[in-house]
Amino acid sequence: MKPLLEVSSLSKSFQVKGPLGTGRKQLLAVDQVSLHLHQGETLGLVGESGCGKSTTGKLILRLIEPDSGSIRFDGSELSGMSQRQLRPLRREMQMVFQDPFSSLNPRLKVGELIAEPLQIHRLAKGAQLRSETIRLLKTVGLGEEHLDRLPHEFSGGQRQRIGIARALAVKPKLIVADEPVSALDLSIQAQVINLMRDIQQEFELTYLFIAHDLAVVQHISNRVAVMYLGRIVELAATDTIYRAPRHPYTEALLNAVPVPKPGKTRRPPLAGEIPSPLEPPSGCHFHPRCPYAKQVCREQRPELVDIGSGHLSACHFHAEVGRFRRS
Amino acid sequence: MTPLLEVRNLKTFFFTDGGITKAVGGIDFSIHLGETLALVGESGCGKSMTALSLLRLVPSPGRIVEGEILFKGDDLLRLPPIEMQRIRGNRIAMIFQEPMTSLNPVFRVGDQIAEVLQLHRGLNQGAIAEQTIELLHQVGIPEPELRSRDYPHQLSGGMRQRVVIAMALAGKPQLLIADEPTTALDVTIQAQIMDLLDRLRTERSMATLLISHDLGIVAENADKVAIMYAGLIVESATTEELFNHPLHPYTEGLLACVPKLGEEKKRLAPIPGQVPSAANLPAGCSFRERCPYAFSPCSKKQPSLQETSPGHFVRCWKYQ
Repeated sequence: MKPLLEVSSLSKSFQVKGPLGTGRKQLLAVDQVSLHLHQGETLGLVGESGCGKSTTGKLILRLIEPDSGSIRFDGSELSGMSQRQLRPLRREMQMVFQDPFSSLNPRLKVGELIAEPLQIHRLAKGAQLRSETIRLLKTVGLGEEHLDRLPHEFSGGQRQRIGIARALAVKPKLIVADEPVSALDLSIQAQVINLMRDIQQEFELTYLFIAHDLAVVQHISNRVAVMYLGRIVELAATDTIYRAPRHPYTEALLNAVPVPKPGKTRRPPLAGEIPSPLEPPSGCHFHPRCPYAKQVCREQRPELVDIGSGHLSACHFHAEVGRFRRS
Repeated sequence: MTPLLEVRNLKTFFFTDGGITKAVGGIDFSIHLGETLALVGESGCGKSMTALSLLRLVPSPGRIVEGEILFKGDDLLRLPPIEMQRIRGNRIAMIFQEPMTSLNPVFRVGDQIAEVLQLHRGLNQGAIAEQTIELLHQVGIPEPELRSRDYPHQLSGGMRQRVVIAMALAGKPQLLIADEPTTALDVTIQAQIMDLLDRLRTERSMATLLISHDLGIVAENADKVAIMYAGLIVESATTEELFNHPLHPYTEGLLACVPKLGEEKKRLAPIPGQVPSAANLPAGCSFRERCPYAFSPCSKKQPSLQETSPGHFVRCWKYQ
């Protein structure tokens, strides 16, 4: 079966000005990222701040323009398309944002917010527009009584439901969800995660789920890709990657997640800072913090290769990884 | 042994045109030297207001309306402002979620630490310079002599939080209040900062009030836990006891609704409904509208905190 989305060698760099406009520098935010997504699947994209995960999401939707690489969606090549050519495809790909407080126009009523995408794509009008809006509200666990309210009258969790309803309105195939639950309270996070899983089954949605919370990603994803300083360093089926990570950075991330079970022994934390993406280390970007690093890691960039049954790792010593895993 | 800090029936209310908001509705807790107490709850539950109340820094229109805050036996609420100033930053220090809110962007970080040493410790110039470097070294900043001349924007988030911790330590506090100290940090850096706080607590036998919504952080770092909901402590116990035998339906719900690493994938069990607004609490138990066990007494009166086993307190009609 052909994947719904196939991204290969996607790269994007930004020009960054130094203090007081001096010394322009290149920041390679996304460095030859390749991934694919099958219909109905969820790929989790994890990594720490500045690793390029959000940029990757925006590149795939062409909300920012890639420098190079290809994005094939449902048989069409998106890179190189004009905005006009893209327009009909935009319906098929939607985004859910992190902050439900800034992603909704505070002056529009909820009914208008949800009707907006339907009107833009000319999917409904008149009485049908209203009934479709109400149907969408109900799908996300809200109701007709909310139609005339403004965003500020809702809690964070409810606003995120409104954001999801807006994305669903145009019946997309792919949803890029960028940290959709990280701004929400614990008891509300679970509600939204369950909602996302329910609508995924109901509408056969495909998710690119971008997040930094490894437990949430494990819960929702079929496969997981780990990014570090612009590169995918490991990609595998969720169970595999959490049980037996084969990249030292994934291992370190998993060790660092605090577990809500008292009495667990802690691993000494990973030393060192996340390097500036303006001056990434040579060779393997992770080598200055890596307990497995040897000379070759300083000199040579490890390629992302299949180390068996679709498990991809970009590490010269992937076979050794596991020694430092916390039990 | 008498505790270092003992809070009794603390009430902090906000007086607005819309009415009175009971941000902290009457809470009791105590912390001993060398101990970490975690205050856990969701946004708006009153955990940060509790911390600001301890320092008497409640912003207007908020006011502490009742209670006692006994610090080494003295009631902080009765101290004249000048004496409170001597305790604040000196005996009790606080660090916040976002280190940039505590750092002045236009001063070198070394000078900002030196200011604390000058204000609170009255050291001479030579001793201040020496102490500044020593503090930066203690919080694990490499090349402290060089870094002390950096401005905050030149440091990473983790390094800034270390500087803020060094500032907090400058007054030799006995109680450190850490309000979501790692929430803004990446997970590998978070682990480093929590390790640092733990080491400092042991070395200095400080007491720590850790405010957090992250149950993992709490389980790994706290000795005792108090769960807050809508301005009240609904359950408190030792960390071990609370995680292994939660009693309050809200605690039970919180522990059940978070996805856990390595756990079997099944549908999450969220707590239904929304956190009620503190300005508009339901009558009776504040949690009853979301509670799967609610029965008739719950709607009549707020239950009191009951000790069900030594050291384990719960505020629920099931245990009255």
